[in-house]
Amino acid sequence: MPEKILIADDEQSIVVPLEFLMQQKGYRVMAAYNGEEAIEKIISFNPDLILLDIMLPIIDGFEVCQMIRSNPNWKDIKIIFVSAMGREVDIAKGLALGADAYITKPFANAEIIQKVREVLGH
Amino acid sequence: MKSINKFWWFVAAAFAIISITMCTFGWLFWQQLAPDQKTILISIIEQNFVYVFTVVVLILVCFIFVMDGILHVYILPVKKLTDEIHIINSVNPSHRIKIEGSRGIIISLAKAINEGAHRYENLQRNVDEMIHFARTESEKERNILAAVMSELSEGILICNSDGQIILYNKKAKQLFESGSDGKPERNVQNGLIGIGRSVFGIIEKKLLVHALDEIEAGLKETNKNVSSFITVSREEKLLRAEAVPVLNHLKKINGFILILEDITEQLEKESRFDSLLLSFTRGVRASIAGIRSAIEVVLEYPDIKKERLDEFTKIIHRESITLGNMIDETFFDYSCRFNSMWPLVKMSAEDLLETVRKKAEEKPGFIIHYVKPDLPCWIKVDTYSMITAFLFLFEELKNETGQQEFSCNIECKNKFVMINIIWEGNPLKIETFRVLDKKIIRIEKEGKPLTLKEIMKHHEAEAFSFVDRNTANRSCIRLLLPSAGESTSENIRNLTILPGSRPVFYDFDLFNQPGQVPEVDNRPLSELIYTVFDTETTGLNPEEDEIISIGAIRIVNGHLLRDENFDKLVNPGRTLPFESIRFHGIEQHMLQSEPSIEQVLPLFGRFAESTVLVAHNAAFDMRMLQMKELSAKTKFINPVLDTMLLSAIVHPVHANHNLEAIAARLGVSIIGRHTALGDAIATGELFIKLIPLLSRMGIYTLKQAREASQKTHFAKIKY
Repeated sequence: MPEKILIADDEQSIVVPLEFLMQQKGYRVMAAYNGEEAIEKIISFNPDLILLDIMLPIIDGFEVCQMIRSNPNWKDIKIIFVSAMGREVDIAKGLALGADAYITKPFANAEIIQKVREVLGH
Repeated sequence: MKSINKFWWFVAAAFAIISITMCTFGWLFWQQLAPDQKTILISIIEQNFVYVFTVVVLILVCFIFVMDGILHVYILPVKKLTDEIHIINSVNPSHRIKIEGSRGIIISLAKAINEGAHRYENLQRNVDEMIHFARTESEKERNILAAVMSELSEGILICNSDGQIILYNKKAKQLFESGSDGKPERNVQNGLIGIGRSVFGIIEKKLLVHALDEIEAGLKETNKNVSSFITVSREEKLLRAEAVPVLNHLKKINGFILILEDITEQLEKESRFDSLLLSFTRGVRASIAGIRSAIEVVLEYPDIKKERLDEFTKIIHRESITLGNMIDETFFDYSCRFNSMWPLVKMSAEDLLETVRKKAEEKPGFIIHYVKPDLPCWIKVDTYSMITAFLFLFEELKNETGQQEFSCNIECKNKFVMINIIWEGNPLKIETFRVLDKKIIRIEKEGKPLTLKEIMKHHEAEAFSFVDRNTANRSCIRLLLPSAGESTSENIRNLTILPGSRPVFYDFDLFNQPGQVPEVDNRPLSELIYTVFDTETTGLNPEEDEIISIGAIRIVNGHLLRDENFDKLVNPGRTLPFESIRFHGIEQHMLQSEPSIEQVLPLFGRFAESTVLVAHNAAFDMRMLQMKELSAKTKFINPVLDTMLLSAIVHPVHANHNLEAIAARLGVSIIGRHTALGDAIATGELFIKLIPLLSRMGIYTLKQAREASQKTHFAKIKY
């Protein structure tokens, strides 16, 4: 059973290549374009990992992360922040909120794949 | 009057002694007479009793008259003479003695004294002149120093160890007391900064104490002795303060200097810059992420399907466009917001045009006219680039239209100042202007590599071709500049140093001033801080009449601080009686837009806080204030001194103690009599002269002055 990845980003330019890339690597992928949609997709799709942007419309990525971490049913979901907010304080905050990794945009595809594997324990 | 009583007691005593002596002699004489001689004498006296009695009474009456004459011709004038010699010796060397109704020796004595006083005055004048001459040089240097200090762009406050301000400059006053528009907001903040006032009223005590502790610790360990902190003024300006200690010879902190800088604007600019940079970085990152991810996919999977490949190339294309636009936008934002860091100087549009005219007419053939506006229109410009822009426009217009004669006019409209360049003939085509707008301006060989558009942008201004339909055959280029308001005070600096123009904003004697403590009563009069005040009223009945003006001025260390005054008109909420208008010259319409006493009194209360109140006939003015204490929610608990009573203590023989009479006696000229501030100033000057006269009478402290005041008969006047 392939692992499921949810990509939450409002930029189609990011979502499309990432989606393609993850599919190529054998994951089942779904995309969400805002925070609210991300939560809905978590419920319906029950992903193993979320690639989460921070500057999301409606509910921002930090809040989405907090909601996931405060729900015991979702405690196994891995979270990787993928964000253009690259200040150290943003990274620290992301990790403090319970994310498993933090990748700043722009990133190398190889880097993100490696991080995903790492986090999923391959 | 004590001296009169004394004299009559002396006369009575003398008379009693003489009477007793005569009676004794009479009794001895009577004892030696034979009995028949006694009967003869008794019968003679009995027969002529009326004559004898009349003679005795007449002698008595003559005696009393003679004595009264002596009193008025010799005794009282001598007493007056002593008082007036005191005046000559202490406060008014120009005073001359005039003794009326006296004669002979007293007159010549007065003449001799006057002559002596004349010589003394001349001598003093010579000495003064010499001192003055010697001082002039050092004064010049101090003036330069003071002018530099007052024109510094930083605010300077110097305080003693108790936190009393002993020096401040104009900028410091502005930082703490002006409104956001830079104009002093007289109704809200008055007299917050002043010589002798506490600095803790404007800067939180905790902050200063912390800074001083830091300095003290720094002095012990290292040589770092400056501490800085950020404080907020009442107008919500952010001020960076740097505290520098003033040390005495024992290396103990004797006071401190605060250097203040308004960093509100700078911080705003920095934070705007930060947010611009931040959003730019995020945007760039997001776009590049898309591009990179897409291109890496394409590279990694060369046999990707055609539709997929198209999708990725579209992403790359779209994001690279977004990136380009973002860079353009950010750069535009940056130059708009941050390049306005050009040093723009406030000047009137008229002055700008005058300079433009001079410069333009240096070139052959150009003739520039301009029409002065009715009111000056203020703009902020970088003069060099703006003048260059004008000259560029003239030159270009000459090339395009052949015209060399231009007339300019200025109009102020709402928030803008319009400067029109008008010429006879065809207007510039839009295309021509578009080209011209972007042309790099070069005037002869010295030009700046700048375009007209950029120069305008720096001024947040616009230039455009404009056709006025009302004026046929005349064309126009209009420059629209943001108006810089009406006031001229801000940014226009007067660095000319005139003799005596130095404002007295400092008093270094205060370094040794003991703190403001409740035991004011036993402090010497010369050390106290006073608020000398006067009120103008609708009439003389405190129960019915209202205050229409309060004027006050401060005395610190025996100096009248003319720059620290309080001068307010008050709307009495009733009509002014005609007689009062004649008296003070304030008319009804002048008070209509003024605040009520309920608004003004708390301000005055703050102005006078922890000082001794001084007024002429203070009983009246205090009563006027007290009538309003309840409604204005301000209580005056300050100690009060009355110059009228003090004058009566010093010169009990003089009957007249009104302001004019005392002023004439002590050599003070009154300017602006019957305005509250004018009278307050005069009262203040009198008060300063009264202090040394009081000390001659053994009255040194506030308590002594108050007690002596209570004993004068004027003190019995109640309102």
